[in-house]
Amino acid sequence: MSGSRLDSLLQDCTRCGMCREVCIVEKLGAHSITSFLCGEEDYSAWLCSSCWLCQEVCPCGVDIQAVMMEKRREEKAPTGHRQNFVNVLRFGYALPVDDSVNEVRRFHGLEEMQLIPNEWLDTLLDASECRESVE
Amino acid sequence: MTFGTWALFPGCLVLQRMPQYEKATVRVLRELDIRLENIPHAACCGAPLESFTDRWVDLAAYNLALAEQMGRDVVTLCGNCANTLSRAKIAMGDSELRPQVDEKLETLGLHFSGAATVKHLVWLLREHLDELASKVSRGLSLRVAVTHPCQALRPGVVMDFDDPVQPQAMRRLVELTGAEVIDYGAETECCGSTLFLANQELGLEAGRRKLDSATDADVLVDACGNCQLLLERFQGLLVQDSERGRTAVLTLPQLLGLALGAEADELGIGPTAAETLLLQRAA
Repeated sequence: MSGSRLDSLLQDCTRCGMCREVCIVEKLGAHSITSFLCGEEDYSAWLCSSCWLCQEVCPCGVDIQAVMMEKRREEKAPTGHRQNFVNVLRFGYALPVDDSVNEVRRFHGLEEMQLIPNEWLDTLLDASECRESVE
Repeated sequence: MTFGTWALFPGCLVLQRMPQYEKATVRVLRELDIRLENIPHAACCGAPLESFTDRWVDLAAYNLALAEQMGRDVVTLCGNCANTLSRAKIAMGDSELRPQVDEKLETLGLHFSGAATVKHLVWLLREHLDELASKVSRGLSLRVAVTHPCQALRPGVVMDFDDPVQPQAMRRLVELTGAEVIDYGAETECCGSTLFLANQELGLEAGRRKLDSATDADVLVDACGNCQLLLERFQGLLVQDSERGRTAVLTLPQLLGLALGAEADELGIGPTAAETLLLQRAA
């Protein structure tokens, strides 16, 4: 299933390497999804700064973000990304945002923030189904 | 003149860690007669879910539906939120996905029509460039390195407000303060904040490249919670072994606010050494 979706996403890629040339991860000596696009096996789909430059310069209009998301689901997620995901399920935000933010907001003269009720979050995210996708 | 009221989507980083950025935004927009309202019950933009599940769209559409209910367009402070919410509007055009999301929103008494426009703060400010320039009361004799909010610019076909590869809006906005925008090698490189989540050392190395490249600047100016996190909050980790002193980093509305005559404490600018230096130079 994933294979055919990936094939279709990759069908216009000519392996020209422009994506790899602009990638900050590659400039730092590591290997991102752009190395995969160039046919390499040594890369991680999680090594990405989300700057979207690769996709912007791609002369063939490949949806590199979509390719990366497909490949990420084949790899174990790094702790930082997993923690953000778990925080979203628990707090509604990637960081542990709770009522204490309003103390800080008051200090800065900012309007109080009403947070999302837990039951709404469960409705939106099918919490149990989502938890499976992170494990 | 009244330019209206916008729904503010600060995003998790600004909400939890940098109210100063929001405070300065409110202050600067007040000069333009733009009012910001919180979105009651807003949640994460959805970005952290996208790598795991298609449910990211549900969360983004939920936030947009809340703004629609208020009858407001949305302004974001983070590039990532602007990007995710904008892409979710497109994703909601998918005939398979849409009914599933609509059903959940309906359970919560909400409806998504796609009517709410999403703009990043830089976009909103750029639309008021001339008015901002006319309100400058304190010219800043500073050398500024700008760093652009990548995700608010790209993909250009979705975000569609500035040159996605050689962006200019931040430069024009900083120039109106009287400051000189310097050219530096890493100007259009990403700060590394998201990369930090996957690999801390690589993320810090990306930040170090930016700071090392911008040493001619008196201050580095950003417009994204992610950039501010890595370049300002994590700067202690970046320069641990370096002999170089700390680089002052401000958010765009903090710099603009100074030029518009606002006081440092109205802009959430604290009394750290670098910031004190900046205020002396700006006076």
